[in-house]
Parts: sequence; C-alpha cells; structure tokens
Amino acid sequence: MSRGLKLRHPVAGTLAVAGYVIMIVPILFVVATAFTAGSTLRFPPEGLSLKWFGEALAYSPFMEAVVSSLELAVLATALALVLGVPVTLAIHRGRLPGKGLLEGLFLSPLVVPELVVGLALYQQLMIGLHLDNFTTLLLGHTALLLPYAVRVTGASLALADPALEEAARGLGASPLRAFVTVTLPMLRPGLISAGLLGFVTSFNNVPLSLLLQTRDFRTLPVTMLDYVQQSYDPMVAAASTLVLAATVVVAVVAERTVGFAKIFGGINR
Amino acid sequence: MRARSTLLLLLPGLAFLLVGFLLPAVAMLFAPPGVTFAQVIERMGAMLTDPYDLGIIWRTVRIGLIVTALCVVLGFPIASLLARSQSRWAGVLLALAIFPLLLSNVVRTFGWLVVLGSNGVIGQLLTGLGIVEKAPQLLYTELAIVLGLVQLFLPLAVITCYSAVAQVDPGLDEAARGLGASRTRSFWTILVPLSLPGIVVAATLVFAGSVTAYTTPYLLGGSSQRMLSTQLFSYASVTVDWAAASATAIVMTVLVFLVSGISALVGRKGATS
Repeated sequence: MSRGLKLRHPVAGTLAVAGYVIMIVPILFVVATAFTAGSTLRFPPEGLSLKWFGEALAYSPFMEAVVSSLELAVLATALALVLGVPVTLAIHRGRLPGKGLLEGLFLSPLVVPELVVGLALYQQLMIGLHLDNFTTLLLGHTALLLPYAVRVTGASLALADPALEEAARGLGASPLRAFVTVTLPMLRPGLISAGLLGFVTSFNNVPLSLLLQTRDFRTLPVTMLDYVQQSYDPMVAAASTLVLAATVVVAVVAERTVGFAKIFGGINR
Repeated sequence: MRARSTLLLLLPGLAFLLVGFLLPAVAMLFAPPGVTFAQVIERMGAMLTDPYDLGIIWRTVRIGLIVTALCVVLGFPIASLLARSQSRWAGVLLALAIFPLLLSNVVRTFGWLVVLGSNGVIGQLLTGLGIVEKAPQLLYTELAIVLGLVQLFLPLAVITCYSAVAQVDPGLDEAARGLGASRTRSFWTILVPLSLPGIVVAATLVFAGSVTAYTTPYLLGGSSQRMLSTQLFSYASVTVDWAAASATAIVMTVLVFLVSGISALVGRKGATS
C-alpha cells in the first residue's frame, strides 16, 4: 500500500503547513538579505553582492568570538564526557542505593532556568570568588552539558549487555581493558550523540553565558546580539548565514554517523 | 563493581556539578553579595504587589500559555502526519523540523526582524497591496514575541509528539476506521488520547522554555514588552539590584517547577487511571 504524504485532513494539513512556514521561512529571509548590495536589513535585497560576507569575516569582534566560542564548546564538551561517562557507569553498573535520586541530581541543570544559573555563577564565582570569566564559563557550560553526557550515553549503556564485559573479565582481561575493548565500542553512538549535542548546545548558548561576558573573552551568540542592538545592517545577516552553513555541516555529520533523528531521541524524557 | 570504585567514578562529576551549578545556585537564592535573605524575601513581597512587576509576571505567563497552546496545535498535526506517512518525503520533512534545534536561537530570531521590522516583508506587503496606509507596528509587540517563541519551540513539540504518536499502534486507527469511524473521529478518540502523555511532556517543555527564554523577548519585545528574563538581566546588569535579581530568579524558577510538578502529577494520574 503506497500512501503518499497527502494532507489527508484539510484542517490538519493547513496547521502543518502553517507550522513549517513559522519554523523555516524567517531563516530563509535572513539568508536572502545577507546577499544584498544595499546597506539596510530589508527584503527584497537591493542588488546582489557578497560584500557583507567579506565585512563579517573581516570584523574582528566576530572572528575573535568565533574562536572563543569554539574553544569553550570543545573544552566543555570534552570535560562533560570525561566526567559524565564514569557517572553513567556508576549509575548503571554500580551497586548504589538511590540511583534514581543520583541520576536526577545530574539532570538537574536542565530544570533550573539557565539565566538563573548564569546569574548565580556571575555573583558567586566571578564577583564572590574572583574567578576569571573563562573559568566560570567553562564550569557553567560543563555542568550544563553533564545531563546530556549522563543521559545520552546512559541510553547506549542500557542497551549493552553487562555479561559481555563480565565474560572479558572472566577470560582474564583487566577491568580497564574490558572497558576499553568491550564497553567503550558499545557506547560509541551515545558518545557521538552526546558530543554533538553538547557542542551545539554550548556553542549556541545565550542565557547561561549572557552575564559572564568580559571584553577579553566574549562568545559569538552574545556578540551578535549586542551588534544588532547597535546597528541594523546586513552584516549580521551574513554572519548568521555563515553560522547556518556551519550548522548544516554539523547536521550532515550527525546524519552520517548516528542518524539525525536518533540524536534527539535521548534527551527529552 | 565494588563500592569504592563506584564512588571514585562518581566523585569528579559530582564535584563539578557542585561547583559549577548547585552551590552557586543555592548561594545566589539565599545570600546574594551584600544582601540578606530577608531583603530578598521583602523584595519578592513588593514584587508580588507592585502593578508593574505583576504586569511582567502576568505577561510572561500569558505568553508562555499562548505559545504552548500554539505549539501543541501546530506540532501535533505535523507529528501525526509524519509518523503515519510512508512517503520518503516524511523523513526529509522530519529532518527539516528537527534541524532548527541545532541552529542558534539568535540566528533563528533574526529572521523576524526582517519579516516584522519597519521595512519588513509583512509591512511592505500590506502597504503594497493597499490594505493599510501605513505599515503597522509589528516589531516590539507581544505578537512578535509569540511568533518568535513558536518558531523556537515548535521543533521540540514536533519531536516529542512524534515519539508519542509513533508508539501508538497504527492497527488501532485501522480497526476504528474498519468499524466505521471517520478519520476525524479516529483521530480524536484513538490517536489524541493515546498520545496524551507525550503531548503533556511537549507542553511542559515548551512552557518552561518560553517563560525562561531570553533572546526572543530581548530582540523582538524590546524594553516595552519586558518579560521575567529580560527584567532579570536588567536588574543584574544595568541597575545591579541583587535583591531584585534574586527575587525575580526565584519567581521564574518557582514558575517552572510549579508547572513541571503539575504536569508530572497529571502524567502519573493519566498512567494509573
């Protein structure tokens, strides 16, 4: 039976189309205005040109912020995985009382509003303990990504049969060797998913990072927000289009490695 | 695994969680720098009686509710069409709905500046067609914030509803149809009730996201349409009023916890009845 994607019910079909228009069309307008030759952020563009891409790439606050955001996202993701995977192992394989409570504790950064966490880190760590803003951002982003590392790799671990690791131990492998050669390969899809999600979450973050900016270390999304507040020219549309292009690359990598839809399956519940 | 090695696995992560999240969050609520907890409570009391502050709280809740309703009403049909379709386009459309989750909120929200701005697409369209004389003010309104937030959270609603619909046995729809129910009737009597727990989860996630989002009210609401998040930023960064910032943070956190708690209760009740 071949059923096409017919909009079988007119009301449902109309709502679905409206939903896609709201999700996608504004993004297309950003791309279209980025190619303008004129100097205002408007549609239709006044002539075609790549000049705003050149301007965006030559604008040092953006470029410095790209480097900062990449650095922060890579480090925070790596730290969250290095800290989070042992926690997952302890929760799933250890004999512990109150496992549910423990998992809940590690998922708690998802529940508290990020802006509130940002305020807390700003007050207590930057002002209170005089930590520099990079260290504070790294601590905050790592804590924010821990839930992803624990839950998403946990979903992979739940599918892995502990008997395999025990068999390896029984055959004389050390605990470390059994982990590296048996358990780690089974965790691979979870590690890739958690890594991609963590990277994207950290790189795009605004609310947590917002209060933790200084002149020396600024993240890209916050720098872009500030720029729009000062001037309303198409350079920010060009910068956005470049971010969009990079995101498409990440999405393709995600699709090729673990499958796009699967990545988001693990975090919701 | 022995108890000691389990503990060793847990400790580094736990230490980070404490320093990077739990301790600062608790300290901020109870003792901001130079302010006592009593002053925070006093400020919160003032906030809950002041018409301006109450207006901001009510605007935040109202926008959260409208966005949640819209995301469910638009997201569930998308999810059910995609989950029930065997077309290969369904996969492409699903990917198209998920992709925005990877894309920066800032980039997604910029689009509305082009659409709703004073030289925006909608304004030009309305004046060009002679429907109105002067383009209406669309940016910096509640409508702009609602549109921006629906764009941000609709993908989350779609993916959450999608997994709920996918778990409902398609045989049940077919049985209902075979017994003479119309498509509309089987949708309302089979699909919606059986997907309800997923819809509740989707609504909770969207509401919690909407009442705490910063980028959208900042860019599309401006200073005339303050929400709790933009107000919190202004207290913390512009006026540096720690008592007010902490009080706003408590109100925001309680709002999110309250709604998550209610939805967890609804979910449990739905599961047992």
